[in-house]
Amino acid sequence: MSLIVTAFSLVVTLYFVSWVTARGVFFPAAAYFVWRHQRRHSVRSRALVDRLASPPLVSIVVPAYNEELTVVDSVRSLLALDYEAREIVVVNDGSKDGTLEVLRKAFELVPAPVSFAEPLKTAPVKAFYRSIVAPELLVIDKDNAGCKADASNAGINAASGELVLITDADTALEFDAVTRGALHFLDDPDVVAVGGNVSIANGSRIENGVITDVALPRSWLARFQIIEYMRSFLLFRQACASRNAVVLISGAFGMFRRDALLAIGGFDPKALAEDMDITIRLQTHFRRQRKPMRIAFDPNPLAWTQAPEDFASLRSQRYRWRRGLMQTLWQHRRVIGNPRYGTVGLGALPYVAFFEGVGAPLEVAGYAITSIAWLLGSLDTSHWRLLLATAFVSGVASTLLAVLLNDLALRRYTRPRELLGLLAAVAFEGFGYAQMNSVLSCIATVQAARGKGGWGEMKRRQFRAR
Amino acid sequence: MTAVLDAFTRLSFQLLQATLVAGALLLIVILVERTTIGFLEFRRRNLERRYQPVVRRALAGDPEARQALLASPSRQQPAIARLLILPLVKDRNPSRVAETRAILRAMSFIPTVLRYLRSRWSWRRALALQVLGVLQVREYSAAIVSALDDPDPIIRSAALDALTDLQDPATLPAIVVRLHDASLPHGRRLAALAAFGSSSEPLLLDLMAVDSQHAINYVQALAICGTKRSLPVLCGLTGDPRPEVCVAALEALDRIGVDETAADYVLAALDSGNVGIRAASAKALRGCADPAVIARLADRLDDVWSVAVRAAHSLRSMGAPGLAALKAREHRPDTAGALARHMLWREPGPA
Repeated sequence: MSLIVTAFSLVVTLYFVSWVTARGVFFPAAAYFVWRHQRRHSVRSRALVDRLASPPLVSIVVPAYNEELTVVDSVRSLLALDYEAREIVVVNDGSKDGTLEVLRKAFELVPAPVSFAEPLKTAPVKAFYRSIVAPELLVIDKDNAGCKADASNAGINAASGELVLITDADTALEFDAVTRGALHFLDDPDVVAVGGNVSIANGSRIENGVITDVALPRSWLARFQIIEYMRSFLLFRQACASRNAVVLISGAFGMFRRDALLAIGGFDPKALAEDMDITIRLQTHFRRQRKPMRIAFDPNPLAWTQAPEDFASLRSQRYRWRRGLMQTLWQHRRVIGNPRYGTVGLGALPYVAFFEGVGAPLEVAGYAITSIAWLLGSLDTSHWRLLLATAFVSGVASTLLAVLLNDLALRRYTRPRELLGLLAAVAFEGFGYAQMNSVLSCIATVQAARGKGGWGEMKRRQFRAR
Repeated sequence: MTAVLDAFTRLSFQLLQATLVAGALLLIVILVERTTIGFLEFRRRNLERRYQPVVRRALAGDPEARQALLASPSRQQPAIARLLILPLVKDRNPSRVAETRAILRAMSFIPTVLRYLRSRWSWRRALALQVLGVLQVREYSAAIVSALDDPDPIIRSAALDALTDLQDPATLPAIVVRLHDASLPHGRRLAALAAFGSSSEPLLLDLMAVDSQHAINYVQALAICGTKRSLPVLCGLTGDPRPEVCVAALEALDRIGVDETAADYVLAALDSGNVGIRAASAKALRGCADPAVIARLADRLDDVWSVAVRAAHSLRSMGAPGLAALKAREHRPDTAGALARHMLWREPGPA
């Protein structure tokens, strides 16, 4: 028995080591990718869009469900973007609060006839509004179908742009986010989608829906999420992007070629992680057809979103993400390890399946079994300590890699006290928060196995000037 | 079994130590990097505060301010050059460009740029190309053109951007012949051409006459810089057996403007069996308010969506006669009716 537990503790220890090693391998690829990107997309390059006689029209689709506190600020920030060839399509997805009312008041909406083709099937559209004060704004009022995918599809149907940007109503976009996104499509005609680095807005100063000063939040829960986002967006996704193997374009900022979305039938309303699902479907669709395609990723923070600062919202979000992840992995299980899909099948998805799919249950089992065995005397203290120390050190080292990349690429949180706050969060994350996340993931895995769906509720707060 | 476990335990300890060392090194690197960047930022802000007003005055023609810039210590000159050059990316006012170029020449900054242009570091070469382009230093056009063949795609892009900024007529052929060079970014190729306006049109027409294989690229370029002079060639291409060339020709006609002769060709394309061609034709006809054209467009309201919606937009843009055709269909329950109602709808005025 003692031997088995010892062997198990070593397996979990080696899992942590392999996790941080993988991150170490990602770092040079991600750093080189970011360096090349920043050189390619210099200030001069971004001026290109201004100089084009007819830049591509971008339809910005904003699905909104119960977003009365944030939707007006979000739309205002979209109207202030520097990209002029744009239309904004807000889809009120059967909100139970005053989302439509606040929009109607703020932008003087008037009913207009619904007259666009609906190549993607959605829940019925009840009304269509145009704004008197902002002619480029359209608002669609539709029945709720219980998912963002359906609302996004309604927006894609109404979009008249060749490019469609899908974002969230609780997201603030950078002033030049659309320009940066469109530049990828202008540079390479094979680009079918562009994902953007999404950062956490908590603690930062936002004026009229635009980020004016980036700062660390006071809430430790939000700080932990900042370093999680750094790890995810800066290390893994950049490394994937360097090999054209992006498997997740965040729902907060995803720019797509509209014809590519229509070719794959739009977002899947049954998918809980519709953003990951559509990215993998784009990758597999074009690879199956042997058509040249690239999913690009912009390392600059293009979108800012609110992280939950209360446990209930965080739990709800994590449950949904996890259930979505498990559902997507199961749905695309034939892609995992399949050489037909290149680096997506052989690299990115196996990594996600192992470290994100299997990882959390393995971690929780590791902590629980070894701790009980140590208490019962079946595992010696050195092995138990070895596991805990490796878990902690690998978490810290992996996050420091992300912090370093953040510094080199983006220069955020540059004040000395912010660095201290960030380093403190890196150190404290291993004392409870990481373990809590793993436990939540395990619970959600069980929920997914039982077929539980739904989006859950998240407390919304207004973007406010600090 | 125990021996294997012992070996693994030893390995795990060694890996833990390695990770610990790596973590500690990372922490040191972060602290050093932060301190260095903090210092550099502090220095840059100080220099900006000190030289920004001087730069502003020098650009306004103040000889004392200009002298102050020339007399600045050489280690501060890159920061001053940055202050002078960066605004030119957006502000292409010719007199400001010329003034900035004169100041930087007087500061002997150009030899430094040329040294960067020959550097083995790609980022330096890219920077040099950007600066030469933004400052419109035309005597080095040949070096910029040759950078279009650099193995590094970033340098090629920077060279194309530099030629766009340079707007040197001598470099136009180099840009036009690279229209179908897929290794150069698509958007930048078009932007470079757009910068020259209609002066590239004769060259494009000549090349199209001898290189029909790449006709689509030339037609797309004519859509950007073409004038009435291109209309006969474009009209001829509306009957090309390649649908993509047809569509591109119709789009180019739409951009340039369809005259009476061209309208016949475009109208003929409205009966094509290809949906894309019909849609492009419906859009290109928006400027021809001829009764025959209106009747044919109104018929297309019953076509597939992509054609119908363009026909509806064209009818609306024709004013009263087009709106009358839409009004005749506004009570129909089908797609044509919905489109007509949408096109006739007007935002209510303020109460």
